[in-house]
Amino acid sequence: MEVQKEAQRIMTLSVWKMYHSRMQRGGLRLHRSLQLSLVMRSARELYLSAKVEVHEPEVSLQPARFLDPRLHSRREAEAEAEAAPLDGEQPSPEPMDTQEAPRAQEAPARGGPCPAKVSRKRRSSNLSDGGDVGLVPSKKARLEEEAASLEIPDRLQPSPAQAEGAFPNLARVLQRRFSGLLNCNPAAPPTAPPACEAKPACRPADSMLNVLVRAVVAF
Amino acid sequence: QIGSLGGGCMSGGGNDIQWCFSQVKGAVDDDVAEADIISTVEFNHSGELLATGDKGGRVVIFQQEQENKIQSHSRGEYNVYSTFQSHEPEFDYLKSLEIEEKINKIRWLPQKNAAQFLLSTNDKTIKLWKISERDKRPEGYNLKEEDGRYRDPTTVTTLRVPVFRPMDLMVEASPRRIFANAHTYHINSISINSDYETYLSADDLRINLWHLEITDRSFNIVDIKPANMEELTEVITAAEFHPNSCNTFVYSSSKGTIRLCDMRASALCDRHSKLFEEPEDPSNRSFFSEIISSISDVKFSHSGRYMMTRDYLSVKIWDLNMENRPVETYQVHEYLRSKLCSLYENDCIFDKFECCWNGSDSVVMTGSYNNFFRMFDRNTKRDITLEASRENNKPRTVLKPRKVCASGKRKKDEISVDSLDFNKKILHTAWHPKENIIAVATTNNLYIFQDKVN
Repeated sequence: MEVQKEAQRIMTLSVWKMYHSRMQRGGLRLHRSLQLSLVMRSARELYLSAKVEVHEPEVSLQPARFLDPRLHSRREAEAEAEAAPLDGEQPSPEPMDTQEAPRAQEAPARGGPCPAKVSRKRRSSNLSDGGDVGLVPSKKARLEEEAASLEIPDRLQPSPAQAEGAFPNLARVLQRRFSGLLNCNPAAPPTAPPACEAKPACRPADSMLNVLVRAVVAF
Repeated sequence: QIGSLGGGCMSGGGNDIQWCFSQVKGAVDDDVAEADIISTVEFNHSGELLATGDKGGRVVIFQQEQENKIQSHSRGEYNVYSTFQSHEPEFDYLKSLEIEEKINKIRWLPQKNAAQFLLSTNDKTIKLWKISERDKRPEGYNLKEEDGRYRDPTTVTTLRVPVFRPMDLMVEASPRRIFANAHTYHINSISINSDYETYLSADDLRINLWHLEITDRSFNIVDIKPANMEELTEVITAAEFHPNSCNTFVYSSSKGTIRLCDMRASALCDRHSKLFEEPEDPSNRSFFSEIISSISDVKFSHSGRYMMTRDYLSVKIWDLNMENRPVETYQVHEYLRSKLCSLYENDCIFDKFECCWNGSDSVVMTGSYNNFFRMFDRNTKRDITLEASRENNKPRTVLKPRKVCASGKRKKDEISVDSLDFNKKILHTAWHPKENIIAVATTNNLYIFQDKVN
């Protein structure tokens, strides 16, 4: 939960910075925009993975598929929200990148449940084993590490969106930067960006994600 | 090799260098006018002239006084030689964008005659300025009075030839060439070729080659703009010509890579001749890894054998003959690695630090926060942290080495990371090409330090 909050905070911050940079003298700076979007996507990945973890502690991977977050992020975000109550409805059928299979193997060694949670979602290494990846919960070893009680869903859960081409190393980043995030010293939360303030306050957090995602797409 | 974090003095040529305060230029008060923020610092080829550019589009040139041979306590002082407005704010009506007048870079041309020439650039336009001295003026006109008023023609009874008489030295700056409309994105670098006829200008996605005499066209030599901008993954952050090979240049990227290109290979140098990239240390991966690996500056050594790159936390020296890793890495402020989240919040993580070589390529220098700057001696592997501050800085005062305490017990005279002032950053530094004289720019002040001369 803390991870989710932190990721959301960084997403909000990033969007605020993006909007703020548009109003700067000299116009939008491409390099800055690129850097902000890198952080934004990492945070979103983290938020999504943490969110899915909360609702689906036990996760199996679909076969390798690719998802372009820019095009499908909104749908995916909504899919995530819908999938939350464990009915595991199939989200958008776009393929997802599963480059970080070898990394996923290393994750358990890092200690702490969270990296393991994140890496589990990207376990495409099982694909190379062949067989029925989607059907068999292959994370029994990891399950034992988990403190929370687990339920094995019959449905498949998609991996969080992973940009192809642009950010192939995101999963690796996520696994590592976890400790970085928790160790870092956040300053006082920034004032909410104007864009977010414009939205009704009663919207649930998931819609906040939609807002932020839309901001990225529009941006 | 990793530079060790020691304190103390470094050696240059066998003797320990002791850096002394020499001068400070700029306003004293803490209230910094934004237009006065220094944005670039550059010595000319002889070191006699020192140019600064600021956010207000102004260029100020300092000239070193000729050494008084009798009084050899220190080398000559730098005094204001010329000040001129290089760039003005402009408005791009098509895009409804304001174009900042901030001077991003200044590069000097080598001196060919009595006049001095430099290139200065803002985000969109490069200008060639001629700085010339006038120390005589014609006097004795027939039709004009000395103050310029026209005489009544009926009072002119004799004819005389005007003659040149000495006058107070006047330094004039005039724009000789304006190189405009060639960059869609923001110019980050200019670099003069060793042929002294051409130069390159680089923006986020493209590099153009110009001839100094021709302003209405330039050649595009690098274009990394993807067909679909949504696929953009990296931008060009800096570019420089090789100091000796007029066909060779390098450009650095936001992903931490450097590409060396040979203009003889093809007209469009999209395919590099060499790609310099160090594999990332997996133990250092973090949420912000990608953005701190962005290279903010690249500089060839004077010899042309090495190049130096600056990313957010380190300085790396690369041998042009080895692409897979740098030959030397120096940590500038490793204690910031655990603070990246806070530095993202206050935007400091986006700061673009520059770096520079000394004349003999034995020492490199770069800036940090709290008005600290760092020097790394490549031979002794010793490094030093110094502070640019008006306190305790009388002329010829030797600078005391500073130390940042990363964690744990803070020793006396050490500064803890949390008390560093991140608003006081040294982004721009320059080293005299021949002597141990350095120019260090804080936000709005320019400090000049020299080594102690006995």
